[in-house]
Amino acid sequence: MNNLTFGRYSPYDTFVHRLDPRTKILMMILLMVAIFLQIPTWSTTLILSGLVLLFLVIVMITSKIKIKDFFKSLSAMWIMIILLIIVYVFIPNPNYNPAHIVFKIGTYGVNYDAFYQGGYIILRLVLMVMLTMILTSTTKPMDLTYALEWYMTPLKLVKFPIHIVAMTLSIALRFIPTLLDETNRIIKAQASRGVDYNTMNPIKKIGSLLSLIIPLFVSAINRSEELSNAMEARGYDPYGKRTRYRKLSFRWIDLIAFIVVLAIFGGILTLRIMVACGYNVDLIYWIFGAKPLF
Amino acid sequence: MPIKVNNLSYIYLPKTPNETKALNNVSLEIPNGQITAIVGHTGSGKSTLIQTFNQLIKPSSGFVNIDDKFVVESSKKKNKKIKDLRKYLSIVFQFPEYQLFEETVEKDVAYGLKNFGLKEPEAIIKAHEALKQVGINESFYLRSPFELSGGEKRRVAIAGIIVLDPQIIVLDEPTAGLDPEGSKTILDLILSLKKEGKTIILVTHDMNIVQSYCDNVVVLNKGELVFQGTPSELFSTDVSRFSIEIPPLYAFCQSLKQKGLNLDISKIQSIEDLMSQIKEKR
Ligand SMILES: Nc1ncnc2c1ncn2[C@@H]1O[C@H](COP(=O)(O)OP(=O)(O)OP(=O)(O)O)[C@@H](O)[C@H]1O
Ligand SMILES: [Mg+2]
Repeated sequence: MNNLTFGRYSPYDTFVHRLDPRTKILMMILLMVAIFLQIPTWSTTLILSGLVLLFLVIVMITSKIKIKDFFKSLSAMWIMIILLIIVYVFIPNPNYNPAHIVFKIGTYGVNYDAFYQGGYIILRLVLMVMLTMILTSTTKPMDLTYALEWYMTPLKLVKFPIHIVAMTLSIALRFIPTLLDETNRIIKAQASRGVDYNTMNPIKKIGSLLSLIIPLFVSAINRSEELSNAMEARGYDPYGKRTRYRKLSFRWIDLIAFIVVLAIFGGILTLRIMVACGYNVDLIYWIFGAKPLF
Repeated sequence: MPIKVNNLSYIYLPKTPNETKALNNVSLEIPNGQITAIVGHTGSGKSTLIQTFNQLIKPSSGFVNIDDKFVVESSKKKNKKIKDLRKYLSIVFQFPEYQLFEETVEKDVAYGLKNFGLKEPEAIIKAHEALKQVGINESFYLRSPFELSGGEKRRVAIAGIIVLDPQIIVLDEPTAGLDPEGSKTILDLILSLKKEGKTIILVTHDMNIVQSYCDNVVVLNKGELVFQGTPSELFSTDVSRFSIEIPPLYAFCQSLKQKGLNLDISKIQSIEDLMSQIKEKR
């Protein structure tokens, strides 16, 4: 049950919590792009990813996210990680350097580069998970939707119903914790009727899941109907013009945070552009004057 | 004493900013074969307390001893008897109608039995008995539980628990949101279960129910035990500090007594009791 609560907003008052949600979303996008820029030679990649990892870990610690919770959320991904490794190792790729074969299974040579490629993807995934976790556990869901609504404002010009989309989104986000509580309640009620949700017997497992999912859907549908009736009763008009109680505002701390993230993004982007222009970008070579390892 | 609660504490979300101490060093005893009420202000930890009884949650410290047969404690190790415990002590949750899910009423009631290993035809027969006990008409047996009214759903859900034939039945606000007639059906059912020798624990906010139906009452306040005794003992103390209101019948008897009528209020559970005492006095 507990890994479901991963990334739930936790109400601390840290630097990252105080940032404007719009800044946080922009910074997250910049860092995601930076993570996905591919730069040749594994040593450089490793150093750059390591730096980003270090940065994110520091952010996580300062915003009081438990590293333990992060590992818990990763443990839900282990099947994906193993599959990725298998796919990368056993699918032949002509780009792999034949000199890097580690060992042979029959006639198929397992290539060193495959591990590097697979590992690199996993590293990126881990960094992405960290990023989203930082965003969602330091930002109230409502603030997130306000920020998204703000970013969608230009779409008003093409008559895109941004308010309706934002409202739908915020209601959905608002009900995630409610549904989790509801799930917990139904689990307890059914456990009192002898349902064992930890059973390994697949047929029993399906039965026990049904006893959870059906009541959950029924209550979710009831809730949505009640909510829409209540909104209508109060005269909610999706096309009405409205003001907001809490206004978002950029402050100097947003500027500082943004400059730091922009520096990381800019650095990696510069390296990538240099690669595109045909420079040899190998940090090990630059720093130690050593030859590129691969 | 079937249930002994010993220095029980429970903390929700420990070591987070939302940490809540729901139960704080609660020790109490609940006697066999009687109806015990658990009352207290909203958020006082009543629901939390009853959930520890069949180990739906594990105490943070302290333990609960059920009839010397089961012990629920804070240790990490798995309780192998947990299924037996849940058959011995069953909980009917607040708004139990939300746990219905089968296609027909009878199947839903039989569902718990099947979880405990009973086969279909016998389970359905027992389900019919339980449905009769809660006053659900035969014409409903094959209907979908979602087509019933709120009060009928509630009774079907309660049937789903009593069909398991637990020795101890815990009900969390079973009458919340029901009309007087629906409440009465459920309370009469509780009385008949008591006559069968079951131990009943009733979480409620309604002091009329406490006075008229319960033998004992436990009061929680902010996670701590503040009173344990009989209903009339409770009402004769200063209850306003627990934000409890004295039921009208009790208040009425009290003022009759003050005016000089010699009543034994502790024996009065209903208007009929009061009338017979007055008749005796004449
Ligand atoms: N799942 C939960 N997570 C965090 N805190 C909780 C949770 N459930 C209950 N609490 C908190 O624990 C305290 C006791 O809650 P509990 O549900 O036991 O109260 P209660 O006496 O049953 O109240 P009510 O009469 O409203 O049903 C409350 O302060 C509540 O906010
Ligand atoms: Mg409760």
